Amino acid sequence: MITGRGRGASILIPLLTLFVVLFAAVPLAWMALSSIKPTNDIMSHIPVFVFKPTLEHYRGLFTGGNHVDRYLVNSLIAAGLSSVIATALGTLGGFGLSRSTMRGKRHLAFWIISTRMAPIAAVLLPLFLIFRTLGLLDSLTGLIVAYLTFNLPFAIWIMAAFFDSLPGSLEEAARLDGCSEWGVFWRVALPLTKAGLVTTWILCLVFSWNDYAFAQTFSGTSSQTLPIAATQLITQTGIDWGQLTAVGVIVVVPMVVAGLAVRRWLVTGLTLGAVTGE
Amino acid sequence: MTSTVWQSQSPQVEPPNRNARPLARRRKRRWLPSFETRMMLPAIIPLALLSLIPFGYIIWMSVSKVTLLGGVHLTGVGGANWAKMFHDPAVWSSWRISAIYFIATVGIEMLLGMGIAILVHEHVVGRNLLVSILLMPMFVAPVIVGLLGRFLTDSSFGLYSWMLRLIGFDTNILGRPGMALATVVALDVWEWTPLIMLITLAGLSAVPPALIEAASLDGAGYFKRFWYVVLPSISGVLVVALLIRAMDAIRFFDIIWITTNGGPADATKIIPLRLYEIAFRFFDLGYAAAIGLSMLAFSIIVANLFVTLLEKKRGVAQ
Repeated sequence: MITGRGRGASILIPLLTLFVVLFAAVPLAWMALSSIKPTNDIMSHIPVFVFKPTLEHYRGLFTGGNHVDRYLVNSLIAAGLSSVIATALGTLGGFGLSRSTMRGKRHLAFWIISTRMAPIAAVLLPLFLIFRTLGLLDSLTGLIVAYLTFNLPFAIWIMAAFFDSLPGSLEEAARLDGCSEWGVFWRVALPLTKAGLVTTWILCLVFSWNDYAFAQTFSGTSSQTLPIAATQLITQTGIDWGQLTAVGVIVVVPMVVAGLAVRRWLVTGLTLGAVTGE
Repeated sequence: MTSTVWQSQSPQVEPPNRNARPLARRRKRRWLPSFETRMMLPAIIPLALLSLIPFGYIIWMSVSKVTLLGGVHLTGVGGANWAKMFHDPAVWSSWRISAIYFIATVGIEMLLGMGIAILVHEHVVGRNLLVSILLMPMFVAPVIVGLLGRFLTDSSFGLYSWMLRLIGFDTNILGRPGMALATVVALDVWEWTPLIMLITLAGLSAVPPALIEAASLDGAGYFKRFWYVVLPSISGVLVVALLIRAMDAIRFFDIIWITTNGGPADATKIIPLRLYEIAFRFFDLGYAAAIGLSMLAFSIIVANLFVTLLEKKRGVAQ
């Protein structure tokens, strides 16, 4: 409520809001609309708003040698496993980091955050050669490991931030009641950070599901993921925009739903714990 | 009676420490690493393998000539890659484009994100739904953002091209250097402004309304209230937003990769794209490694600022 309640504001605010909503939503709405449009209407010089909806593009993705189902499974395995492993290890590590009083904790924390912030292009290079030597190129294992390079430090860091925000008194009370150290973590701290845990997992999932650079560089025919499927619809002969927008919907919708499901904790997650709560 | 009460409130009592454990237990386990350290190990060991090995390897690559045929071979070339990098106008021009891209995207995102946050903050009814809609672009895979950009700006059937034609602006948007750069900036702005909005919104809800009211009663106008009351309260979170975007600006390159792949005429070839081209099109992996390390140096500086900022914040909180 920074503004006053003048007459100008009562017109200006709804108008600006509408504009901002359109700015954010039109590209996505247009993508969704195009994915159920007949091809002729997509390619029209003047945008078509009234058309006969069709599912042919979605059908085309799973038939006629396109096999998007295979890409979908690859994406689910690579992003799913990587995010689960990262969250599990990150929860343990995050608790340890949050409660640790060791000397050099600052250096440890700094190393973890630098790993997370490392430019993807710079991480790609050595991993490419290492994977080539180890035979991990074009394998889902390779992709899972590659995604761990950014998911694991992220999960440790964020879980540490979530554990930091717990009141210490509860754990103290549990300890006085004779709870073991593992018990303090497992029965007191962990249940209190359930939301943080889910947020961490979902953000890890989103980051690896949306990855293009690693998948494009490392994967061959047997490990391609959905974002690669999207770019493969761009061929020399032209782009099938109907199918492409359909892939777009398949890539985008689950992540938007997952992301919005943890909206309350997003700020903490996306600022790496530097800003809390709305 | 009174004396015991007085004793228990003695100021000599140590401040409560959440990490305090009975001394006996701590002593008994001295031969073992502490519980916290043992908790960290399952995460720290894989992380060390995943980060230190590639880090050592990229340093080694940067002083070598890398050949891939018949197995990976590294032949030492000393500082040749580094010397080349400092004298390569293509690399300098990519850093320059990266800087322009960074300043343009982050500048617009900060202003727009703050503006939208203030706008959203005005809404009391339906604010949740509104925020949810505005956040959506953030979760879209950058590669899809890029493809959507191409789709919307296609000169024959793009929705946005059509709108531009309506106002008398007919051109192949991604085909002209200046326009191409503006378009990839716009795409980045579309995807990441919601993050700034979200962060600013968190900062705004922490501004005590009484403070604004007081300023208002003192006769401060809208801009004065914003400048002297709101902005100082949210400046902390704005710095966080700036640092997060700074690191991401050099981390991701998918959007440009998909839309223009650095073209036309290298107008959008930011440094990660240059690295990628040198590594995987010209297969000069040693040279690319030197560039990669210089990028890493940049992100380590940002990370350092970030950690310092966090520590300062915790210091204030305690």
